[in-house]
Amino acid sequence: MDTDFVLFVSAAIFSIGAVGFLIRKNPLVMFMSVELMLNSVNLLLVGYSKALASLDGQIFALIIMTVAAAEVVVGLAIILTIFRTRHDLNVDHINVLKG
Amino acid sequence: MFAYSWLILLLPMAGFIGLSWWGNRLPRSGVGLVGCGSIGGAFLVTLVVLADMLLLSPDQRVGNVVTLYPWIASPHFQLDLAVLIDPLSVFMLLVVTGVGFLIHVYSIGYMQDDPEYSRFFAYMNLFIFSMSLLVMAADFFFLIVGWALVGLASYLLIGFWTEKTSAVLAARKAFVMNVIGDVGMVIAAFVVFQYFGTLNYVDVFAKASTTFSPNDDGVLLITLLLLVGAFAKSAQVPLHTWLPDAMEGPTPVSALIHAATMVTAGVYLVARCNSLFMLAPYTMYLVAGVGVFTAIFAGSMALVQFDIKRVIAFSTMSQIGYMFLAVGVGVFSAGMFHLMTHAFFKALLFLGAGSVIHALGGEQDIRKMGGLRHAMPITFWTFLVAALALSGFPLTAGFFSKELIIMESYHAELGNFLFWGLAVLGAGLTGFYTFRLFFYVFMGSSRSPGAHPHESPMVMTGPLLILGSLSLLGGVLGPWAHEFLSPVFSGVIPLHHEDALLESITVGVALGGIATAVALFMTGKDRLDFAKQMLAPVYDVLIHKYYVDEIYDFFIVKPVKAVGAFMEERAEKDGIDFAVDQVGAQVREVSRGISIWQSGSVRLYAMNMVAGLVTILLFVIFL
Repeated sequence: MDTDFVLFVSAAIFSIGAVGFLIRKNPLVMFMSVELMLNSVNLLLVGYSKALASLDGQIFALIIMTVAAAEVVVGLAIILTIFRTRHDLNVDHINVLKG
Repeated sequence: MFAYSWLILLLPMAGFIGLSWWGNRLPRSGVGLVGCGSIGGAFLVTLVVLADMLLLSPDQRVGNVVTLYPWIASPHFQLDLAVLIDPLSVFMLLVVTGVGFLIHVYSIGYMQDDPEYSRFFAYMNLFIFSMSLLVMAADFFFLIVGWALVGLASYLLIGFWTEKTSAVLAARKAFVMNVIGDVGMVIAAFVVFQYFGTLNYVDVFAKASTTFSPNDDGVLLITLLLLVGAFAKSAQVPLHTWLPDAMEGPTPVSALIHAATMVTAGVYLVARCNSLFMLAPYTMYLVAGVGVFTAIFAGSMALVQFDIKRVIAFSTMSQIGYMFLAVGVGVFSAGMFHLMTHAFFKALLFLGAGSVIHALGGEQDIRKMGGLRHAMPITFWTFLVAALALSGFPLTAGFFSKELIIMESYHAELGNFLFWGLAVLGAGLTGFYTFRLFFYVFMGSSRSPGAHPHESPMVMTGPLLILGSLSLLGGVLGPWAHEFLSPVFSGVIPLHHEDALLESITVGVALGGIATAVALFMTGKDRLDFAKQMLAPVYDVLIHKYYVDEIYDFFIVKPVKAVGAFMEERAEKDGIDFAVDQVGAQVREVSRGISIWQSGSVRLYAMNMVAGLVTILLFVIFL
């Protein structure tokens, strides 16, 4: 498979994720967008790993997945708690930490 | 030899530390026991030192320095932790620890109802420690340490009743006045070091006569600076104003610090530095002149006061004036002898006054007393003895010491007729104000019918009786004191003068003072009123204490306060405070502008991040 193709797909997924993160108001969906961005990077790493015949990129991808899994656990717990206390998950309303 | 004399310092120090740390946990009897026991122990050690010293021949008694270890040893400056045991310091220690012990015992009764019993005894022990250090010091350094520490103890004890505003103000005044003296002392020590390269008494006094010829600038400077300290500590004109106010403290404090011991430190200092002062006859004239002036100046103020303790306080200033007169005309042993007898009868007067105040529940105004001779027989008789001794009534202790001084003020080498005349005038004043006080308090009938005075308990009358016997019979110690002290004042040998005429005049004037008091206060109410009318302007000046406080207030206190107020307004508030406040205010303003970036909106943050990312990307790609 062509490396350029992988790069394009990766960039496309990253952009979808970034735009999704910016325009959506539901934190769960924003979370999924973040996962998209992370995985686009994983795709990139794996693609270069193949192109450069090095396993480093794949190891990085595994580590990122692990971290992402851990982060999801914490993030979902926070979202759940916010929902329980406020019964409202619109991020525009969650703005108490302002200066 | 004398190594154990350190105990005289250690016992009161141990008492002070013990009572400060554990005083609140001890029962009252325990506090009294520790407080008095430490001083009693110091007195016993002093007696042993005295006995040891009497075994030595007179020329071996001087210059016994007991060195613990060298404290500072540098090529240019050597300072040992040492005490000097010679007749003069032992003599002073006997007075300090002996009279101090009696006053401590008396305090057990006097302070019985005070809630801060242990704090009182802790301070008293600190004072005895400091005073012992002052008289035992073997160099100018530890002299100044003791000098400052007695000032501290005096401050703490004058202001002992901290809830009383007047007491706190009086303590502050005493402290400030004493610090003026301390500065003089410190500079004097610098000058001594400049000329002699050492601060040890023994070295300095041995080299004094070869370093200076009489009335050299150096020796005049040193003695005058020492006098600043001596006059401040001993409440001599013009640094005398703190002593009457110091009567705000508890009465045993007045007896111990402001009558018997601390205020006589100035006399001790002049006697200790006699080798220097004898080289400065000009300074000696000043000492004698200020002394005799204070004697009549303070004596005249005592004539009209109505506070029982203030009358005695002015009398103390006056008697210390006599001591300065004695050392000023070069009869040091007479001055020291008067210091001792004065410690007896003046401590007795104060303790008697304390007994009266105690019996009347804190009343100090003699106009509200009277007729106490029946209710308080022991206080009455001992007070009478003290009053007679103070007025120089023949054959009491005060008679011998004061007669000697007045006689020498004419016959000594530095004496003259003016000193003698003023001293005799002072003796007349003394007789008058002492018996005025005595008649007001003890004779006549009671002027406050509601009061039910009672004799004080044994623990208070015991010291009164002992001091009473000493005031009555202490005169026999005169020749002994002279002989005992003479090795310290070698080269200063006053001749004993017999002059029946002068002596009769002095006694006559003193008795005349007493007789005047009898005439005015015992027999004639009309005469008293007449005298008051005749002397109204004088009376007015005297009751205002010659307006000295007002003059100091106008020329020193007010300007200093005005400068302070100006600096507070302009430098403090408009300068420093303004700058500090502005730094805070400006930072707050800037922060307020920046803090709009932190909106709390997650999506805005994300947008900023993406925008930043894109900017960096564009930067990397196109530049």
